[in-house]
Amino acid sequence: MRYLIGIGTYMGLDDSIGLRIAEAIAERGLDRGFRAIELPGNLLDVLHYCDPDTEAVLVADSACMGLEPGEQRFFSAEDVVTHKTLEGISTHEGDLMKVLEFARELGLELPPITLMGIEPASIEPEFGLSPALERRFEEYVATAVGFFDGPGA
Amino acid sequence: MLQNVDIDIHHLTRVEGHGNIVVNVSNGTIETCEWQVPENPRFFEAMVRGRHYSEVARITSRICGICAVGHTLASVTATEAALGIEVTPQTRALRTILKHAENFDSHTVHVHVLVAPDLFGAPSIFPLIPTHGEVVVRALRLKRMSHEWGSLIGGRTTHPVTVVPGGFTSLPSARDLKAMRDRLIEAVPDLEGTAETILSVADKLPAFDRPTEYMAVHEDGQYGLFAGSVETILADGDRARYDIKDYLDITNEFMVPQSTAKHTKNRLGSYAAGALARFNVNYDQLHPEAKRIAEKLGLAPICTNPYMNSVAQVVECVHAVYESVRLIDELLEVGIVEEGLVQPTRFASGISAVEVPRGILYHEYSYDDDGLCTEANCIIPTNQNHGNIQADFDELLPQLIAAGASEDEMALKLSMLVRAYDPCISCSTHYLDVSFVR
Repeated sequence: MRYLIGIGTYMGLDDSIGLRIAEAIAERGLDRGFRAIELPGNLLDVLHYCDPDTEAVLVADSACMGLEPGEQRFFSAEDVVTHKTLEGISTHEGDLMKVLEFARELGLELPPITLMGIEPASIEPEFGLSPALERRFEEYVATAVGFFDGPGA
Repeated sequence: MLQNVDIDIHHLTRVEGHGNIVVNVSNGTIETCEWQVPENPRFFEAMVRGRHYSEVARITSRICGICAVGHTLASVTATEAALGIEVTPQTRALRTILKHAENFDSHTVHVHVLVAPDLFGAPSIFPLIPTHGEVVVRALRLKRMSHEWGSLIGGRTTHPVTVVPGGFTSLPSARDLKAMRDRLIEAVPDLEGTAETILSVADKLPAFDRPTEYMAVHEDGQYGLFAGSVETILADGDRARYDIKDYLDITNEFMVPQSTAKHTKNRLGSYAAGALARFNVNYDQLHPEAKRIAEKLGLAPICTNPYMNSVAQVVECVHAVYESVRLIDELLEVGIVEEGLVQPTRFASGISAVEVPRGILYHEYSYDDDGLCTEANCIIPTNQNHGNIQADFDELLPQLIAAGASEDEMALKLSMLVRAYDPCISCSTHYLDVSFVR
């Protein structure tokens, strides 16, 4: 199985981008050959999709990467260092990097996981998307779907 | 005995959402002792106005990523009450199984990931991986099972898609239900192990009793989840029963200066909702195996120690498994039948009360003749517990000071108290903050 997992929160403006991508793909029936999952809240649930026999996982999320707002990049957890200093892990405390660290420390065997990071313009507590990301939304959807046609998937 | 105390825990860790603990004691006088909730209101009630009844649950489900099933069921049940829809016994049974799955999932995370670190003297679950790896792996195993348990009925665990007004858009097959039943039975040893783990650290749960009013959905014949009435019980066993339609009169929301979240009260200045409240109100309806685990863990009604809420959650997990097995057996005996959706017979107002992991969730909607929502109101359980947490603080802090507790001990006990209620304040951010190294 192959999964596109959108994470984030609808209440954090551009932090909702991953959820919105997954939602749009599922709503439009574009998830052919993979399954689009919208996963707000409990990030530990990501691990439920990460069986060793899972072929590929693409996680779409907002990511402060030092790029221009709206820019998108694929990367793996090994490609980056996190600047967050998170002590623990809970539904509201932690990010995907922390979940993957948790899995590694537990010795879980993970499938190939690629992150699709999108630089937010704002993660203020509001609904919607910033104009910078709204403008490029269709591009993100197409890129996420296209990922599963490419060699990375 | 400390004369001066200064505790300022900004955004308490290992709770769902943002809450602060602020304590200031000066020359032996308590000047401030507050549980603060600084989060923004989100106005979901306004968002659903003008929406068709078929869309409302899909929107209100997004109130919470943890209790998405609960918000969906509360929304759908209130809508069905407004539309004069009586669902079938099969729908009701499947929704009950789904509700059990969500409570099990949330309780499992709360007990193992959020509470256990305190009991093992660790700041988070990470240090427990090398020391108690089997407990952590077991927790993930249980959580995974509940995820699949919920997905089987709801299409997916977070924001279920099959639950709609009038019934289900798709049904699980008998074969999948049978397989789930077998998995639930296979999970029993893990539940027994969880009980043993809790028992091994039970002495770390603070001995603190403060009688309050306990409020839960009550059904004759089964552990209340989303039908029947609302009952409250006081520490002396005095019970009061209320019709769900009177929910505003038993929640009595009010504002307090230190919080953006409303507080509630009924017969006393505050009340408790959640697993311990359900246990106290509905003990007689618990499955015998759940009662056995409760006895093993030293939990008996009427328990007035709020720290025991986590223990009550373990007991509810046992109940959820055995009750779901019973319901699946009943469904398989009769056979799963494609029923179609029950259609509206009127457009009016309706109310629901659903037991989600943290307590009673109330939804109310009104619809016009076109089936469009004209009014909505949601009262979430965490808000119902804020006042009780504050009342606990007011009693616990003087006890801690009198007992000669250090500032760190006070901070820990107050933090553990808040965590015991398993508050789910609202969603914060999960964005990544990274630099590329290759």
